[in-house]
Amino acid sequence: MLKIHGLKKKFGNFQALNGLDMEIEEGALYGFVGPNGAGKTTAIRIVTGLLLPDEGTVELAGRDALKYREEVKTEFGYVPDEFGMYDNLKVWEYMEFFASCYGMSGLVARKRCTELLEQVRLDDRADAFVDSLSRGMKQRLCLARALIHDPKFLVLDEPTSGMDPRNRMEFKEVLKELCAEGKTILVSSHILSELSQMCTDIGIIDAGKIVLSGSMWEILQKVNDSNPLLIKVYDRREEAIRLLRQDPAVKTISIREEDIMVQFHGDYEAEAYLLKRLVDGGIPVSGFIREQGDLESIFMQITNREKGKVVLTSEE
Amino acid sequence: MKSNPVYKRETTVRSRSLRMPLIIFAFNGILALTALLNMYQTVAQVRTTSMIQYSTFLDLYAFVATLEFLLLMFIMPALTSGSISGERERQTLELLFTTKMSPNDIIMGKLFSAVEQLLILVASSLPIVLLTFVYGSVDFRDLGLLLICFTIVAFYAGGIGILFSSLLRRSTFSNVCTYGVLLFIVVGTYMLNIFLLNMDQIYISNMVLQPGMERPMADTGMAVWALLFNPVATFAEILGNQVSGGASIISIRSFFGSNTGSVLLKYWIPISLAVQSVVSFVIIRCAVYCLNPVKNEKK
Repeated sequence: MLKIHGLKKKFGNFQALNGLDMEIEEGALYGFVGPNGAGKTTAIRIVTGLLLPDEGTVELAGRDALKYREEVKTEFGYVPDEFGMYDNLKVWEYMEFFASCYGMSGLVARKRCTELLEQVRLDDRADAFVDSLSRGMKQRLCLARALIHDPKFLVLDEPTSGMDPRNRMEFKEVLKELCAEGKTILVSSHILSELSQMCTDIGIIDAGKIVLSGSMWEILQKVNDSNPLLIKVYDRREEAIRLLRQDPAVKTISIREEDIMVQFHGDYEAEAYLLKRLVDGGIPVSGFIREQGDLESIFMQITNREKGKVVLTSEE
Repeated sequence: MKSNPVYKRETTVRSRSLRMPLIIFAFNGILALTALLNMYQTVAQVRTTSMIQYSTFLDLYAFVATLEFLLLMFIMPALTSGSISGERERQTLELLFTTKMSPNDIIMGKLFSAVEQLLILVASSLPIVLLTFVYGSVDFRDLGLLLICFTIVAFYAGGIGILFSSLLRRSTFSNVCTYGVLLFIVVGTYMLNIFLLNMDQIYISNMVLQPGMERPMADTGMAVWALLFNPVATFAEILGNQVSGGASIISIRSFFGSNTGSVLLKYWIPISLAVQSVVSFVIIRCAVYCLNPVKNEKK
């Protein structure tokens, strides 16, 4: 759906994008993560035609989005971090206004507005003025507005910032529904736990380029491989450590409370054989688990450059 | 224009508020009261002196026309100078750019809605202006010329407002710049000519004349061309021709000196209207260009 290659953008002396490469498959719910100033909004503004890059290409729905800016406008819907509301319009008027901006009018526009307001659960507020809506409702209205022309691709820039947990949950559900309907969604956010729960794919951007990308499963798997094994033994801990030292895939061993923490560079099969050796050696193993990584820890590891702790790269 | 979503939205919001009907009511109320007092004064004069002072009806025409002109000249910028920057402040401008709306659609929607708002006011006051027709001396051609002047000045002043609104991020700053430029066009061009005329008069009064030579009349030379951009000069000339046979308080004739046969002076009204139309068009195109989000960037 979206292919970005070698995107560069400089504002004065500040290199906002530095050779950004990114690819989003059709039907994906892509989480776009990065610290402040990493280049997320710049990339989004280029994709939506609000900014031109200094270098690079953007292909949206098979078309050059930089060359055919007007033509690709019908392919995407955009929800910016600030809602962009006309407070003196009623909810249905707001929707119909944007419908007419895409050349829709009359019954077609009205029907589409009604459908979308139902989908974002605002149908009962259609006659209310926009300024009377809560922040969460405004955000859902903004999402409905972005869907008015039935785009294949949705771009959401920090959509849940400032929302309460209930509204965030509802919004997330709507996004999942849209994804199930076949829409491709790019969502940038700082709330990483939320992204890991709903996204199918993820891209971490730092200093203007993607430092890690792939499916959520792959990425969590990658970080898991670098996480330690936590082994709990009922007795004979010294014997267990001696057996562990004999395995070439074991790099370091340390003790954390009741657990033996092992840096183990091996796949699932190697893990299984390690466990078998311990059991065959008569060690009473009561726990054997790989410490689970989360998106937050990946993000922190990757973007913690000042401490020189970059442990993962996309090439890993 | 009816299919322009921005124009439709602006008119929807406007028609919902009581502001416009109140403005029309107040504006026409003042004009009607002035007209009635004017007529009452004329009738009272007939009763006491048995003479009708027809010029008082022309004074009424001049009063209404001047009021409408000032309204267009100074209210139009207020309506347009915050229109685009207001969208920017509300964060809605970028949303419009991601739709099929072009910068031209946005500018035209905003401008025509503002022009329409004031032309409604002008049209609503026409019955009062037409009272003059009862006694003659102003005909439909005069009125037509006045309406053309009003329309051009509406686009001219509105265009300057919308240009600054497209250029600047803040409505307040855009407002200040718009009125600053308008003040320069209206007052600055007059001041320039008055200054040059005075300088020429000083020079001429110090000239040593040969016997039989007549002292030439002072003029401002090429500087008078600057007044072609001044809508007040055009309006004063139109009203001067219609009401007082060419003698208006702020007439441009004095700046031509002895060069009274000049083609520019002869066709001042059509030339200045044409110049202001062209300038309005250029200003509006500049506003469209400035609004384009990717105008200055190379691919």
